[in-house]
Amino acid sequence: MPQYRLMYFNIRARAETSRMIFAAAGVEYEDVRVAREQWPAEKASGKYPFGQMPCLEIDGKFTLAQSRAIGRYLANEYGLAGKDNLEKAKVDMVIYVCEDIYVGVRNIFFEKDETKKAEMKADFVVKADSILAALEKLLIANNGGNGYLVGDSLTWADLEFFVRMEYAPFFNAAILDQYPKLKALAERVSSVPEIAAWLKKRPKTDF
Amino acid sequence: MPKHRVIYFNARGRAEPSRLVLSAAGVEFEDVRFTNEEWQTEKATGKYEFGQLPCLETDGVIIGQSRAIARYLANEYGLAGKTNLDKAKADMITDACEDLLQGMAKIHYEKDEAKKKELQTEYGKKIATILAALEKILTANNGGDGFFVGDGVSVADLSFFAQMEYNLSSAADLLDSYPS
Repeated sequence: MPQYRLMYFNIRARAETSRMIFAAAGVEYEDVRVAREQWPAEKASGKYPFGQMPCLEIDGKFTLAQSRAIGRYLANEYGLAGKDNLEKAKVDMVIYVCEDIYVGVRNIFFEKDETKKAEMKADFVVKADSILAALEKLLIANNGGNGYLVGDSLTWADLEFFVRMEYAPFFNAAILDQYPKLKALAERVSSVPEIAAWLKKRPKTDF
Repeated sequence: MPKHRVIYFNARGRAEPSRLVLSAAGVEFEDVRFTNEEWQTEKATGKYEFGQLPCLETDGVIIGQSRAIARYLANEYGLAGKTNLDKAKADMITDACEDLLQGMAKIHYEKDEAKKKELQTEYGKKIATILAALEKILTANNGGDGFFVGDGVSVADLSFFAQMEYNLSSAADLLDSYPS
């Protein structure tokens, strides 16, 4: 088993999906959370290929950057990526679509101007609705929608979806009420014993 | 009848890496290019799950999201990298190229001149950081006289090439400081 160090800030944001993959796979890793004040020095050390986090250090030998590259690598290593090339492509498609949710929420969260913030929220709810409607359709097309987004077992697409929907309170806490299959999926993910355990023990963060 | 249809507008943009992967693999494909009006009609059919292009149609299945498509084709035709780790390195590089594309798009769409200048300065720094990192990754791969990952061309090299076509058109000497 390789030694893994996952490096990020003490937030969920772009590392949480990888943390959930580790949890679902039952793989141990060092969950490094760099304090904001320490970051300039860390960045200057040159350890981080693109001067950004998250990064995954593998066996002290290679440092992988880019959150999705990390997630995909771990998912492939531990059987959470999809069974064949086509399933993996569908999983990837969901990952990228969920990225749009993350970026929308992040922009709202960091907006200081209250008027602008309200405007962004209103715009984003419309966008989120169209994304979720498409995901609901995709889920239902997968054997009726009572399982997972792609294939017939949990993949990191389901984990990423769950992680992004944890941000629903930032734009519309009850949004999943309109998408019953997606709502049930989110509950199914959080009930996977390893995930439930992680959700209980992980540090509580605002974002 | 080619197995794959790459569906996009008549531009390089987000479809070019996929077109390059298929070409490098010597695989024939239908290179579908919609006009804006044609796209509006197509989009209304609801065939395209997320209402966006590019899409890949293969054996009746439609996949969206440019990098999902490029990666799928690269995996199908042996241009993804050999090991999981090589594939992850390739992913890291294509994601970095995406950052360059997004930075460019942001500037392109910014109407306010002052904000545009600000974005351009930021983007200049971003390009420098990313290119320096890519140069390091490349030279770490057997001295840098081959390809980004492993010992053959991969989707990483093709994505980089496609992105550089854009950056070089506005700064022809951009890569002079990055010999590899």
